[in-house]
Amino acid sequence: MSALVFAGVSKSFGPTIALELLDLEVTDGELITLLGPSGCGKTTALRIAAGFEFADAGTVAIGGSDLTRVPAHRRNIGMVFQSYSLFPNLTAVENVEFGLRTRKIDKVERRRRAGEMLELVQLSQFADRYAHQMSGGQQQRVALARALAIQPKVLLLDEPLSALDAKVRLQLRDEIRRIQTELGITTLMVTHDQEEALGIADRVGVMSNGRLEQVGAPSDVYSHPSSAFVARFVGSMNEFPAEVVDGTHVTVHGVAVPTAAAATGAAGSTATLLVRPEDVGVEGTGDGPTGLVGSVVATTFQGATTVVSVRLDVLDLLVSANLASSKTDHLHPGQRAAITIDGTRAVLEP
Amino acid sequence: MSASAAGRRRLSNVIVPIATVLVCAVYFVLPLIAMTRFSFQSIPVINLRWSNLTSRWSFDPVVEPFRDEQLRSAMYLSIKLAVATVFATMALLIPTTVWVNLRLPRMRSIIEFLTVLPYVIPPIALVAGIRVVQPHARWFLNSHYSLVPFYVVLALPFTYRALDAGMRALDLKTLVDASRSLGAGWGTTLRRAIIPNLRTSIVSASFLTATVVLGEYTIASVLLKPTLTQELVVFQQSNGQQGTAMSLLLLVATTLLLGVLTIVTRKRGGASVTPV
Repeated sequence: MSALVFAGVSKSFGPTIALELLDLEVTDGELITLLGPSGCGKTTALRIAAGFEFADAGTVAIGGSDLTRVPAHRRNIGMVFQSYSLFPNLTAVENVEFGLRTRKIDKVERRRRAGEMLELVQLSQFADRYAHQMSGGQQQRVALARALAIQPKVLLLDEPLSALDAKVRLQLRDEIRRIQTELGITTLMVTHDQEEALGIADRVGVMSNGRLEQVGAPSDVYSHPSSAFVARFVGSMNEFPAEVVDGTHVTVHGVAVPTAAAATGAAGSTATLLVRPEDVGVEGTGDGPTGLVGSVVATTFQGATTVVSVRLDVLDLLVSANLASSKTDHLHPGQRAAITIDGTRAVLEP
Repeated sequence: MSASAAGRRRLSNVIVPIATVLVCAVYFVLPLIAMTRFSFQSIPVINLRWSNLTSRWSFDPVVEPFRDEQLRSAMYLSIKLAVATVFATMALLIPTTVWVNLRLPRMRSIIEFLTVLPYVIPPIALVAGIRVVQPHARWFLNSHYSLVPFYVVLALPFTYRALDAGMRALDLKTLVDASRSLGAGWGTTLRRAIIPNLRTSIVSASFLTATVVLGEYTIASVLLKPTLTQELVVFQQSNGQQGTAMSLLLLVATTLLLGVLTIVTRKRGGASVTPV
């Protein structure tokens, strides 16, 4: 069953279209991340789900009920915000109790549930601290406990990790996922960080200019992007000027590259072939069989893999290749090298 | 660095500021000392000398006026007016300031301009305006509490700024959204999420409002209301020493209030932060 459904939701702010015909279903217990650049409409979608904004058109249903025009305080949603949102006048435990007080739950039960939630986020020992006495990561964990304490139908996360440093961000990301899985709570999270989106979600929705470009499992979105925008935004891409030969081949500077993406272009037309760094091979020879030769500019060791940058002579193009580190021992800056392109997962932009 | 340059720097960094503070202190403190001696020493002013600095001090000049029924009731009226004005101001301004900050941030400059108007328009102009409508509003103007709306307007330049500064220091939008997402309506959000976090601003604004009310003379005089300032003027004309003593008492009281304000609004001390 779908816990949260957007059906044809549109929203404009004056002449600016923030959201255009958004259709999205988040199923029970699922975690979906909405990923996109600033201004793509992801936060607007989240705020419409929360009831802070109302859609101009379309409907929003939570738990099977149409809540399109229902204000935020009557929706029973939990939300964690980008900026620290703890009430500064209340301690951690009082913050967690806030939503329970508005529901008029008696004090003993309130304390018990707040205690449970703080335990869930492993902050029981900080119950009596005020926001200014906690670090950013601790504050966000208390905010998460506060959002969960009211047993919401849907949990909404508005870039909850973006204000944190890298190490804490990673820890809290894992913790959010652990808690979400443990409680089985339906979650919609917004982020502009692709690593975060791919790392935490069951499914990822990539947005651009108010539209949902693609929704799918993280590996699917990464490996089979539905558009050039998704391909560029999720992960990095090499961009080769290409010419479409037929439905199965393109040429890059005269070198034939078999690719299913060729079917999306007209024979004889020029286009851009987008290829992932891991689909580019580098051979440390003077002249490779492909004819796409150049010089190694840099090698960046990243543990299991090494990123090799090659500047091609013919196209004056800097190409990145992500190779197994064990296969890059012989590649050094300044060395002549030839590249190969695996077009299996490539995307063609006409 | 040469010795003369170091000397010039010392002059500008140390001596000039200290001298300025001393001159200001003398400028403000000397009249207060004179006022205190005039009020509390039972010696004719013409005979006040250094030699009799410690003789014939008495608190009677501030005790006596409290036996005056008229002055006492004027004081109660002013206190009641101050309390009523504080409540009216807060009831009007807190929701307004929240709304402007949340929903109409572009209107902030216009609202600020409007709140400054009482600075530039003299109170007498306000009263003149009321005089025009007085025949139709006697039922209202006959009440002492008819002063409250005037005082709300007069205090606006101070109160709006104090509240607005407090709200800008908060992440108001996030706090309101957080509160509403937790099931709180606007009333609960104001009461439990916003007002407690504006404690400093509200106390400051209340104090400033009370000060404006307790010191206001023009409007009360024109509308013939027996407030404390009116009675003090009358009292001073009949008994200069006791009138001055009362003025001094008012000054001390407001200074003490300022001290209390500083203590009350002091932030809670923080414990050490343990990173995640």
